[in-house]
Amino acid sequence: MTFIRMVRAAFYGTLCLISVMALIGAGMFFIAVRDLPRVPEPLSRIIETPPTEIFAATGERIMVMGGREFIPLSDISAHFIQAILATEDHRFWEHHGVDKLRTVKALWVTLVKPGRIEGASTITQQLSKNLFFSFKRSYMRKFRELLVALQIESQFSKREILEAYLNQISMGVGANGVEQAARTFFGKPASELTLAQAALLAGLPKSPTRYNPYLHLDRAKKRQRVVLSRMEAVGYITGDQAQSAFQDELNLQPPSRVARTGSYFLDLVINNLEERYGPEVVYHGGLKVATTIDHQVQSMAEESLRAGLYRLDSMLGIDEGVGRSSGGEGLRPQGALVALEVNSGAVKAMVGGRNYVETEYNRAVENNRLPGSSFKPFLYYTAFEKLGLNPATVFIDRPVTIPVVGAPDWEPENFGLKHEGPMILKRALMKSVNSIAAQLVAQTGPEEVIATAHRCGITSTLEPVYSVALGTSGVSPLEMASAFACFGKGGIRHEPFWIGRVEDALGRILEEHIISGERALDPSIAYQVVDLMRGVVDAGTGSIIRRMGFNLPAAGKTGTTDGFYDAWFTGFTPALCTSVWVGYDRGEGMRDTRGVGITGGRAAAPIWADFMRKATEGDPPREFKIPSDIQFKMVDPITGMEATAFTLNPIRVALREGQELQEHAVWEEDPVDSGKGELPSQSLPF
Amino acid sequence: MSFVKKLAMKRNLCLNFNAMDFSEPQDFREWARRMLALRPLMMVFLIFGIVISELRFDWAEQVLGSYLVTTNAQRPESGSIWEVGHRTVTARQTLEQLITDRQSAQREAREAGTFTQIASNLPPGQGAMLSSEHFRRLYLTLPGTIAHEIVAPFELLRLLSEGRWVRTYLENEDYGLKIYLLNPENRVLRELRISSQLLYQIKRVELALQGTLEDLPTFENRIYPAERFFKALDSLPEEDLGSVLSQPEGLLGTPGRIVRVGISDEAVSGYIELGFEIEEGTRRKVILLKGREWAVWILRSYLEEMSLETQTGSGQGL
Repeated sequence: MTFIRMVRAAFYGTLCLISVMALIGAGMFFIAVRDLPRVPEPLSRIIETPPTEIFAATGERIMVMGGREFIPLSDISAHFIQAILATEDHRFWEHHGVDKLRTVKALWVTLVKPGRIEGASTITQQLSKNLFFSFKRSYMRKFRELLVALQIESQFSKREILEAYLNQISMGVGANGVEQAARTFFGKPASELTLAQAALLAGLPKSPTRYNPYLHLDRAKKRQRVVLSRMEAVGYITGDQAQSAFQDELNLQPPSRVARTGSYFLDLVINNLEERYGPEVVYHGGLKVATTIDHQVQSMAEESLRAGLYRLDSMLGIDEGVGRSSGGEGLRPQGALVALEVNSGAVKAMVGGRNYVETEYNRAVENNRLPGSSFKPFLYYTAFEKLGLNPATVFIDRPVTIPVVGAPDWEPENFGLKHEGPMILKRALMKSVNSIAAQLVAQTGPEEVIATAHRCGITSTLEPVYSVALGTSGVSPLEMASAFACFGKGGIRHEPFWIGRVEDALGRILEEHIISGERALDPSIAYQVVDLMRGVVDAGTGSIIRRMGFNLPAAGKTGTTDGFYDAWFTGFTPALCTSVWVGYDRGEGMRDTRGVGITGGRAAAPIWADFMRKATEGDPPREFKIPSDIQFKMVDPITGMEATAFTLNPIRVALREGQELQEHAVWEEDPVDSGKGELPSQSLPF
Repeated sequence: MSFVKKLAMKRNLCLNFNAMDFSEPQDFREWARRMLALRPLMMVFLIFGIVISELRFDWAEQVLGSYLVTTNAQRPESGSIWEVGHRTVTARQTLEQLITDRQSAQREAREAGTFTQIASNLPPGQGAMLSSEHFRRLYLTLPGTIAHEIVAPFELLRLLSEGRWVRTYLENEDYGLKIYLLNPENRVLRELRISSQLLYQIKRVELALQGTLEDLPTFENRIYPAERFFKALDSLPEEDLGSVLSQPEGLLGTPGRIVRVGISDEAVSGYIELGFEIEEGTRRKVILLKGREWAVWILRSYLEEMSLETQTGSGQGL
């Protein structure tokens, strides 16, 4: 009788339980159904958002943002469809949104086997979750997801459901949908996926990061094996086919070099687009953006900067791969490079740091670092224009003291703590003599130098102090490249730009850049400064460039700041202008293992030379355009007089019409107090 | 009889509740007998059938799904994909607006027959792209002197002969129109400007061509019959005639008869504007020319003298 009672109790208990569950289910249904999301018809309508695509100047698509390309099921490889069905939901064609048997099994596993949780979501449920619900786990969310799945099954055919699922599924590295994934990983459309490739891709949705083949190929291969086994178990393929597919070459496409992660340039482009059109248009509007970047030149720039910074690490005695200086004082030095077309201002390459993954701060654009002596060309131009001086004018390199109203006297010092006496201005720039630069700025006034720099394209605020001529106001490599290009173009200033054209998804033009130059400098004086800077590259502080084998006509200027915090080289050929900066992010001087300071000529110029050698490979030698009123003379670098057969190391200077050489050795008088003649005790910008 | 029994009987369910024994079975045999009776077995089979049919045909899911389909239209457009969808719609609308603005500016520029129309139709800061042919057509509508001020025709000929000038971009700025003559790579071959003063002049010329001297306020109180004007002109020394009318050929080439002449009260850069009102059939138009300031002043003094004489002689004024 006890047994009968127990059975009876169990029966009524179960009945009660079922009733309570039915009541709870009904209650949940009515609660859940109240704010259940509306299901769009057709499903593709809202999945299909046009992508914003960014193209290089050479035509390659370098980035796709936001959009999804909806492709029909017939355009997807049968292997992939089978692989995804076998892995995710092999009873897809049979159930009506819920796989009850699988759910019971999953419940059993979850309840009976501690520590194991088995999922039972069908493809329809996954689609429902992906389209409408957040990833927050709750029973109500799960229930709603189930209800929407039931509706989707009632509203759409199985083919439509599978099509929608395959078009929205996330596969990692920004690839949404099988078409994007196939193109991203294998560089081919989804219709051409092989069995091996399809199996690899079908394994990704479980955890796109964990099975990312670029980062964890071994894990991705293991997952591929699981997928192939499932396909075999379901009967889509034989064991031999599975084995052979597992051994097949995947032919993974190398990750795009200029990809979302790893590109300072794309950050700049996207920020600009967001400023102009707003984030919604950029990410959901399906823009087609033609940029100015040259894919190959960009790769070269990245390579050259990386190699140059490794060389610098060695000079500084920083252990490879440690990430901190040997003394533990700070991070590794950083670098930036900008290359732009002299004739248009189009940015062809941009690197904003040594590793985008570590730091996204774009030093090529946002950095505001002191340019040191690389600012001197603006001073020399101003002196030629305002004071009527010429490259053969003689100044005396000597200790100088410049009185400053309301402040201590300014006593600029030379890098080598030495003074060489009289020399012509061309030699003074080639050797980057600070005392002569100081004498010049004392005569022109800092405001004039600043005005010249602004005319050339420096946009940063510059302090109107004498030392500005020696580069004591911060600028960015982009500004420097743009401003030096103005000299390279004979005084025509082109605004730097990186977006050439923006179209909407239908190809209607939203904007296009017009390459217009503005006369900023006198062409003849600009040429004289270019000629001075050629001297820097050929036989001055940047002569390492020639020693490294870069032989095309080029002009440029090194720059090093006090304490060796910053090292610069900005230079140009008639076609390409490049600015390179290296230094620590947080004010730390760069000294080699012997304690010798690292200058722009040692750290930045080699990077410049390496990059320019690659970027201009195969280019014919092209001379800078010489204005008609320019004549060349060989002069004595000390007296400024015309060179004779007996002159030691004569220098060629460019003179404008009406500018004559001195017939007698005459030193330029300057208003600078030279009374304090003691040698300086500390080096200054160079 | 209970309500349930009545109902059951009414529906002929043949459930004889009187015959059912609700007492507790006293032994296992009794319990088994009751369990294996026809009614419980039928009930079990029914429940089993329902469960099996649901497993086989998913009717519960279908019923729920179909019900939800009927309520779909009333439910909110919420959820992640709808949010993306809304953003896409907003983005499309914004883009559409931008494109529409640009295209309407472009269309108006294309339809404009003169530079002043372009300047007045283009919103500030916006630009429009025209073909080089279109620009040439606009250029040719300008009077020679004004056209020269913008760009010399030889310069345009040179650019055309080089074959690189394909498009023209016009931009409306504070000070007037900025014009870029572009090559196929969008590189500026030549940058031109039409200042707001020049635009004003062009506008005056356009106005003048269609109306009478009264339409141009600068000629107010200085309008003379053509006969008197040429009489006064005759009074000037031969060498000064060219200073008043440097290119009379332009007037000669214009069909119609000069009926009145106006002299502007403004001197600009040493020149004073003269307006020649021409009658052609029933239509009147004005041709504007410039004369040297000093020569026009002399002429004007003659005209004033002649006016005084006329007034004193015949009591008639202009």
